[in-house]
Amino acid sequence: MRFRFCGDLDCPDWVLAEISTLAKISSVKMKLLCAQVLKDLLGDGIDYDKVTKLTADAKFESGDIKASVAVLSFIFSSAAKHDVDSESLSSELQQLGLPKEHTTGLCKSYEDKHSALQCKLRETSLRLGRLEAVSWRVDYTLSSSELREVNEPMIQFKLQAQGAESGSTETTVVSVSADKFRVLLAELKQAQTRMNALQ
Amino acid sequence: MLLVLSEDHKEHLSFLPNVDAAVVGEFGRIALEFLRRGSSPKIYEGAARKLCVPVEMVQHGVEGLMYLMTESSKHMISEVDFLDSVLVLGFGEELNQILLQLYLQHHSQIRSILSQLPSHLPAYHNLEWRLDVQLASRPIRQQVVPMLTMRLLMTGGGDSGDLSRRVLQTDPSTLLHLISTLEAALAAIKTNHARRIFRSIK
Repeated sequence: MRFRFCGDLDCPDWVLAEISTLAKISSVKMKLLCAQVLKDLLGDGIDYDKVTKLTADAKFESGDIKASVAVLSFIFSSAAKHDVDSESLSSELQQLGLPKEHTTGLCKSYEDKHSALQCKLRETSLRLGRLEAVSWRVDYTLSSSELREVNEPMIQFKLQAQGAESGSTETTVVSVSADKFRVLLAELKQAQTRMNALQ
Repeated sequence: MLLVLSEDHKEHLSFLPNVDAAVVGEFGRIALEFLRRGSSPKIYEGAARKLCVPVEMVQHGVEGLMYLMTESSKHMISEVDFLDSVLVLGFGEELNQILLQLYLQHHSQIRSILSQLPSHLPAYHNLEWRLDVQLASRPIRQQVVPMLTMRLLMTGGGDSGDLSRRVLQTDPSTLLHLISTLEAALAAIKTNHARRIFRSIK
């Protein structure tokens, strides 16, 4: 059986198994649990004490708590990834055996946070060597050991970017003469025009 | 199978009958902490002072006990074999029982610690990817070049927990070839030859 929220693939077995675990808590608690999981997916961290309190009534062990958080994370992130609308998600989850009230609560939370989730997922998409900061200064060289009167302007750039393989910030310092810099600027402006044409 | 204990080992362990059962239990605990986290000389000095014996005796006793436990766990010897091996040391029945209890309680933990020791090859952890289309570059405009960029995250390779990263880039045709090669590898598990081997392992 193919499910849209799984990317038109079969639903993983563990998701099927844990949906029945989710059905054990009340639908009100389920909505609050969804809110916690969404908070975590959006980067605000998850409050495990609250989660433990929410699942205490159904007497979840620590394994069950982890499993329900994992299955909700999967459902939300996978549905946002494949851009599934909340009605399709609702019908697919009911097909998998999640009770109607739980599904309604889940889909309502999903709909509220749908665009925020997609935004966050877009931000965390793979980017290599992300440019973090640029700083520059213009110097004027008066004289050097080779030539007494140089009288030339010079730009120094400090580029801070994330290393492609290491992931940590790497600093590059470049000094550019006036002519080279004009070429660089012209080329970058051409690239910018192309980028603007695409948006 | 029976453990064969060397003369040195027997000599180190001969310290144990001279102390009472509680102390042996304490030594057992120190030995297991040693396995988990390494030992510190302060612990040995403290114990030596309390028992009024030289520090090396305490150290040898603990190390001997630890070695006995790891060798027994390594070979997964049964209770009977363990008792027979320990009989050689000539300890009293009570001490033998204490050592047996120590072994039974902790052997699975010891085995899991030992299994983490050999360094393994880097293992797959995660693969992030992005699909891009190159439209223009400095020398040439109006291009259409699809490209898949991947970042492969791997664990291990010696250091535990440290992730090593590799950036890879491929075009669509290489990607399709890669996919078909990997699927062929997966399909190899289902051949008769592989099934025969799995059956004989089980």
